[in-house]
Amino acid sequence: MTAAANLVTGFGPRIEFAGIDLTLGRTRILEQVGFSVAAGSVHAIVGPNGGGKSSLIKTLLGQMPHQGQLTLHWPSEREVIGYVPQALEFDRGLPMTVDDFMAAMCQRRPAFLGLSRRVQPAIDAALARVGMLDKRKRRMGALSGGERQRVLLAQGLIPEPQLLVLDEPMSALDEAGIQVFEQLLKGWRQAGTTVLWIEHDLEAVLRLADRVTGLSRKVLFDAPPAQALTPERLLGLFSVHPRSESLAS
Amino acid sequence: MSFEAFRQLVQEWATAGYLPEALAYGFVVNALLAGLMIGPVLGGLGTLVVVKRFAFFSEAVGHAALTGVAIGILLGEPYTGPYGSLFGYCLLFGILLNFLRNRTGLSPDTLIGVFLSVSLALGASLLLMLAGKINVHILENVLFGSVLTVSGQDLVVLGFVAVLVLALALPLYNRIMLASFNPQLAAVRGVAVKTLDYLFVVLVTLVTVAAVKVIGAILVGALLVIPAAAARLVSQSLKGFFFLSVVIATVSTLFGILLPIVFDLPVPSGAAIILVAGMCFALAALARALVPRLQGNPA
Repeated sequence: MTAAANLVTGFGPRIEFAGIDLTLGRTRILEQVGFSVAAGSVHAIVGPNGGGKSSLIKTLLGQMPHQGQLTLHWPSEREVIGYVPQALEFDRGLPMTVDDFMAAMCQRRPAFLGLSRRVQPAIDAALARVGMLDKRKRRMGALSGGERQRVLLAQGLIPEPQLLVLDEPMSALDEAGIQVFEQLLKGWRQAGTTVLWIEHDLEAVLRLADRVTGLSRKVLFDAPPAQALTPERLLGLFSVHPRSESLAS
Repeated sequence: MSFEAFRQLVQEWATAGYLPEALAYGFVVNALLAGLMIGPVLGGLGTLVVVKRFAFFSEAVGHAALTGVAIGILLGEPYTGPYGSLFGYCLLFGILLNFLRNRTGLSPDTLIGVFLSVSLALGASLLLMLAGKINVHILENVLFGSVLTVSGQDLVVLGFVAVLVLALALPLYNRIMLASFNPQLAAVRGVAVKTLDYLFVVLVTLVTVAAVKVIGAILVGALLVIPAAAARLVSQSLKGFFFLSVVIATVSTLFGILLPIVFDLPVPSGAAIILVAGMCFALAALARALVPRLQGNPA
């Protein structure tokens, strides 16, 4: 990717979920889920474990056979989705440095041959944004959970996405990491990137999101955080499911 | 320059004393050329086998080669190179295994356990049924490899497979690895995860079958695993991991072919190759234990 392509950032897409049904085996995962994500907004999804948050993301990413209508309204021909998963499955002893990992993610040239000259500036910039530039020669397995999470965020920046899908990006972050994440979020908001963000930390959602959807199989609420995150609504959201989780987080 | 002319040149130089004496024999030159192709390809692909935890699979495909040979002989293919049945059966074995892995929800090691034993039982039954027809030494060659029987045709097959595997595996290296880290992330990044899984199975199968002649059905899978495992112990980056694995696999193959000839030992080439690789692994484990820097990054 060239530096010029790096700068081209249009508005992110608007996303419409309408009547999404998802059944796996005999389990109803999603039932008539409908809400919309405004273009360029930071939209959080909260809800109990097993409430269908991850399945909804899989549906959005085209990984689940679903019923109902899911539409992405892209503002331009460029359609780039970035995804930051919750975790990676890899052998912790694997001799793979941060640079190796970024290379494997972002370039065609085999990662063991080093960073390609074309992608290196973007990787440098992404690692700098998440504050991992000085740890780029470390092995991925030797990083702390928070540091690994930052590297995952860095890969989501290349190529510059118009839609970012984040699956609990803050769960492993330490204090410094949370500040990095908030800076990134600010940057995306300024660039007009649409951010769909699964999060457990309700305080962070209240502070940082433009809108929040409460999902527990169905949409229980969909409103700006200040209106949505009231004790009654949260009690409703986290009580429906038998394995509900603490509200204290 | 044709291959024949090249081999004769090497033989002449060896006879004249410019090259080691063993190279005066045509079959040694053939075997070493085979080794020079097998080593780097198995060593390189082995890094992906280790990353994707496919070690047991590659062992199983190697063992399936035994059954492939038996079927080949039964169908009247030449017993020195029943490639049709070998490739056919092993590819079927690998692809079916991967298909069922996606469908049954059984863990890979359980499924491989089933396939491996059934295939071995089939192979053993067929081979013993054929025992009257064939020279029993052929069985020994199939099981443990032989450098005496590497023919020009084997080299052609090996060369073709090596080029094909490199041409596919190198451009797809990152993607094959990425698919095993997080399939969903891989899919978002445009990786066809399932297709690549099949492709990887096919690549491992092709390489394994092409190397059976030299290393033997029992041990061929080991050369996909041991060099990469040894390299993983002592390297700190993918670069070190990959190239060290290639070097260990190549050195093991060449030494495993040469040592029994030079020292006149009645050891099959496959066993010698794996013993050398095993020693490399032991040295790597020792080095890791003795040098703290190899155990991980300093804080």
